[in-house]
Amino acid sequence: MIEIKKPGLWTTVQDMGRLGKYHLGVPPSGAADKYSFMIGNMLVGNPVEFAALEMTLIGGVMQFKKNTVAALTGAPMKAYLNQQPIPFWEAFTVKEGDVLTIQECRKGVKSYLCVSGGIQVRDVFGSKSTYEASKIGGFQGRKLEKGDCLEINEPLPGAAKQAGKSLPLEYTPSFDSFQELRVTLGLTGYLVSDEGLKAFLNSEWKVSVESNRVAYRYTGGKVSFTEQRPPFGAGESFSNVVDFAYPIGSIMLPNEEELIVLHNDATTGGGFVTIGTVISQDLDLIAQSRPQSTCRFTAVTVDQAMEARKERREKIKKIETILGRQ
Amino acid sequence: MFNLPETTFNYVGDEYIYAEITRDMKVESNFKALAVTAELRKRNIPGIIDIVSSNASYLIRYNPELISGKDLVDYIREIDFNKSDPTRLSLSIRAVEIPVWYDDPITREYSQRFKDRHQEPELSNFEYVMKLNGFTDKAAFIESHSSTPYLITMVGFLPGTAWHFPLGATPSEIIQSPKYKSPRTDTPERSVGIGGAFNVIYPVQGPGSYQLIGMSAVPVFDLSNRLTDLKDSLFLARPGDVWKYRPIDESEYLRIRDEVKSGAYRYRIKEVNLSPLEYIKKGKEYIHGLIGGLG
Repeated sequence: MIEIKKPGLWTTVQDMGRLGKYHLGVPPSGAADKYSFMIGNMLVGNPVEFAALEMTLIGGVMQFKKNTVAALTGAPMKAYLNQQPIPFWEAFTVKEGDVLTIQECRKGVKSYLCVSGGIQVRDVFGSKSTYEASKIGGFQGRKLEKGDCLEINEPLPGAAKQAGKSLPLEYTPSFDSFQELRVTLGLTGYLVSDEGLKAFLNSEWKVSVESNRVAYRYTGGKVSFTEQRPPFGAGESFSNVVDFAYPIGSIMLPNEEELIVLHNDATTGGGFVTIGTVISQDLDLIAQSRPQSTCRFTAVTVDQAMEARKERREKIKKIETILGRQ
Repeated sequence: MFNLPETTFNYVGDEYIYAEITRDMKVESNFKALAVTAELRKRNIPGIIDIVSSNASYLIRYNPELISGKDLVDYIREIDFNKSDPTRLSLSIRAVEIPVWYDDPITREYSQRFKDRHQEPELSNFEYVMKLNGFTDKAAFIESHSSTPYLITMVGFLPGTAWHFPLGATPSEIIQSPKYKSPRTDTPERSVGIGGAFNVIYPVQGPGSYQLIGMSAVPVFDLSNRLTDLKDSLFLARPGDVWKYRPIDESEYLRIRDEVKSGAYRYRIKEVNLSPLEYIKKGKEYIHGLIGGLG
């Protein structure tokens, strides 16, 4: 068991997400930065999809009521086990009664605490991920609060041997304050003018404070619409199309001066013009972007998107070999 | 035939295929989306993660490690072409009755609370929608809104939210309304809203921008596990289902609320096969005959 002594800013239980229920309006949820999440699980010898804690900016204070092996990954927060500093990206042993203190991060936003055997909560629609809007999954469908006691599973066989293993530096993300996000263009972008498309690709966009697990909002450029009459059933505005199911990563334009990129807790459908879609692995970068940080959108073809996906898969395989329980 | 253009397929990111049937809203497009997605779901293709039927399009999420996007588009294109012949379509759906208290004090209070972001702050949402659609008599508006059956053309936004679109109504009969100028930050659970030509029932309390005209006595989302009809699914809405509103007064509203809370409430549901071809041919007469006996 883990007892929350001091909650962080926004900590939830997440796994790799809830699949197959999008047609009912249930978004996948799941770890916002899957790369850091999966590596956390690899470090403690778990299958990559085991449930872990996702922390936001500040981790909080928690006490372990069980001996286990744990690891911290993602945005580097200052962390102490009792009084001892604990590095990120390295598996460590935890004894019953130990207190883990996780302070703020200077770079990035989301960090993960993985424990061997995973966090034990009930599956809802096949996933342990928290989805707060409907209060489903995770720990009582909500973020953690002071006094919450989370069950954790027994450490897996061989877990003890993982302690001390760490991720080589070359594989740790850099959490830069400027990002290049790859997008495939199209979707329902037919109401965007040619100049609008150019402005979208040539502008530097800034992350707004209202960004969260549902969506990231950006301002900075002006993407003009064509002023064609929207199709029947779409509504009155030039930014409206007939409501459709939004892909995760799709880039909506509610007006000419705001972009909204849907993330894992997305509202699953709506009627805003969408200019394109961020490729899946770059959603991890978005999850680590702080308010006021900036980005540019780079157009890629579907083949390039698939190539990027393949590169990442090979990278993860390599990491698995380095960290695996052999 | 439906006289629909050829569906356009878009590769979206590295995990999605977006199929656009038509850009404008047509009931025929929705029937086609339902038919194609039902067939695809039935085939259980490994590598397909999500299949979402939408108003006039559909969306597929797939795992490119298990299936190539190009192969998948070829495969779906064939289904899209061959399995949407309206003469052979029969959709197995449910007609569900929704008891609604129109122009109730709760949605009136919300109209008042968020009047600063409304087109006509001095009117309640109910009055505004009545006025825009040329009604002066409340009873006539309620009769018009509740006598039309609605097809669930899409589920999404927040879990269990169902867009439903009037069936058997001519374009001039369709009750329409613009959305709020800026979305409300709060909307009561179970309120009935109109935006464009679509209706929704808000499953949970939350933001919203549709005009609120009444309260459903029955939930469309139930986590409590008390209601027999929602036990397996949690959600009432299923794409392709038909919802029919029945106007109720305050005392019946309160009675049904008690039944819902105790778990005794059973939805009035009729399982039917909807023939898009018959609907296209006969319209209103067909759809009323089909769901007749519901209320």
